[in-house]
Amino acid sequence: MTMEFIDVGYRYKGASDDAVLGFGLSLQPGTVTAVLGPNGSGKSTILGIGSGWLAPCSGSVHRSGQAAFLPQTERLAFSFSCLEYVAFGRAPHLPYLSVPSDKDRQAARRALESVGMGTKATRRITALSGGELQLVRIARALVQEAAWVILDEPTDMLDPAHIAAIGSIVRRIADSGAGVLLSTHDLGFALACADDAVLMRSGRLVARGPAAQLMTCEALGDLYGTPFGLASIPTPLHGATC
Amino acid sequence: MSRRASIAWSVILLVIVSGLAVLFGRYPRPGFIDPRSLAGDQLAMRIVLLVRLPRVVGALLLGAALGASGAAMQFVFANPLVDAGFLGVSQGASFGAALSMVLGGGSLALFGSSFGFALLALGLSVSMAGRIRFGGAVLRLLLSGIAVSAFFSALVALIKYGADPLKNLPEITYWLMGGLSGASWRLVGMAAPAALGSVVILVAMRWRTALLSLDEATATSLGARPRLERAIILGTAAAGVAAVTALAGVVSWVGLIVPHLARLLFGGDGSPTVPGSAVLGALFVVVCDSLSRGLFPGELPLGVTTSLLGTVAFFALLAGQRLRVERG
Repeated sequence: MTMEFIDVGYRYKGASDDAVLGFGLSLQPGTVTAVLGPNGSGKSTILGIGSGWLAPCSGSVHRSGQAAFLPQTERLAFSFSCLEYVAFGRAPHLPYLSVPSDKDRQAARRALESVGMGTKATRRITALSGGELQLVRIARALVQEAAWVILDEPTDMLDPAHIAAIGSIVRRIADSGAGVLLSTHDLGFALACADDAVLMRSGRLVARGPAAQLMTCEALGDLYGTPFGLASIPTPLHGATC
Repeated sequence: MSRRASIAWSVILLVIVSGLAVLFGRYPRPGFIDPRSLAGDQLAMRIVLLVRLPRVVGALLLGAALGASGAAMQFVFANPLVDAGFLGVSQGASFGAALSMVLGGGSLALFGSSFGFALLALGLSVSMAGRIRFGGAVLRLLLSGIAVSAFFSALVALIKYGADPLKNLPEITYWLMGGLSGASWRLVGMAAPAALGSVVILVAMRWRTALLSLDEATATSLGARPRLERAIILGTAAAGVAAVTALAGVVSWVGLIVPHLARLLFGGDGSPTVPGSAVLGALFVVVCDSLSRGLFPGELPLGVTTSLLGTVAFFALLAGQRLRVERG
């Protein structure tokens, strides 16, 4: 099972430039791949294409198995309970006009427990903190039992504890055999939980390789256009929670 | 009590209230008629069978279609402040009815014209949405729907402006306030297939409809086909609303507020909302129509009663409900 981008290009309607051009990448299951790059470099577009949400304008994507996709932000117009919301993840497994069964709800409850939100199953999603909501969204992706989990900036605006929790869950997803493709601006998070890194700039793939080797001060300085140095700062220990 | 049991009890209540509504009226005296007296009173029997019964059936169809379609549209547009009026359906129906009245058409012509223009308004909204060059599909539909609604509202105003003030204008004005006084078996029979079909399909698609309220990218990754499913749901909802509006005129408030009542009473925001809204909508309209025709010597417009009672019930529920904001 692989996910392969072959010479993928994408241009948004009305835009004068390509958001992504000539992008090629092959992903393996059981690994976490972090897409890094400055704002507007095409990270979210690549994730959208990988999930099947966006159809590439040129090139092709070959993916075996379903993909669970968590966009960076999500419209929440109604106050579903956490359990109801996570149960939506069972949709690909249900006949078209059916509703979730007790078995599906049990699966949703287990997914909530696995991300540490089991006690908040009946709570309204609109009453959750940002970190809790992100955990519930990940539970929805887990209950989808997809071969690929695609996360667009999963740690955006979260506190260090929630970032560490999400890092642990991401590792667990990969260890269970699913492939994870995520974008992030949190370099510590990427180093802690990603096997591979992909560097993007202006819609093009600049480099790819093992995250620890690729994410050097020089490479990141070139990527973001600002000097990088090594600094020792207190960092949450990924894997210590959940 | 489980949600399913709550809805089941509501259905039982609806059956009881509908039965009582058939017996309620102003003949032979204001109040309820004794069912045992029907055998000996031919006029009462005819009133019950040919006037009240079709009217109650019409009220059931009207309320169920407006409630279910309102809930479905709120989900599809991911906006709890939306109802059928946002796609121009009600305004299109109003124009069709007003046009038929000034042209001197009978009740069948009025029904056909209203139904036809309601669907035309829906078609225009969808067609115009495809030509808007910015925003997501939902925003484009909302914008085009608002424009089409305003267009048909202006046409209705134009017709009222030019209508005979002694003959057509009162008739148009009364129709626009909504009412089931003209609901015969024939008209109810014409509205029933679209209204009933709409409710059945929307109830069957209740969970898919709730899923469409999620972000489009999320819904797609969950296996939904948002464009296709949205079109099916909106088309179905609009057809039901068009049929009952052609039957009863513009009855406001039901499609907007009943889904909120359903969420408050049945809990959750997912699959119970659409069937719950259909049942509550039917119950609400049957009660309102009974009060409209039986409370005073002259009949009150149904739209006025639904608005008055709807606001009171809504605020009573809001005040009685312990709404809590939960923070972890």
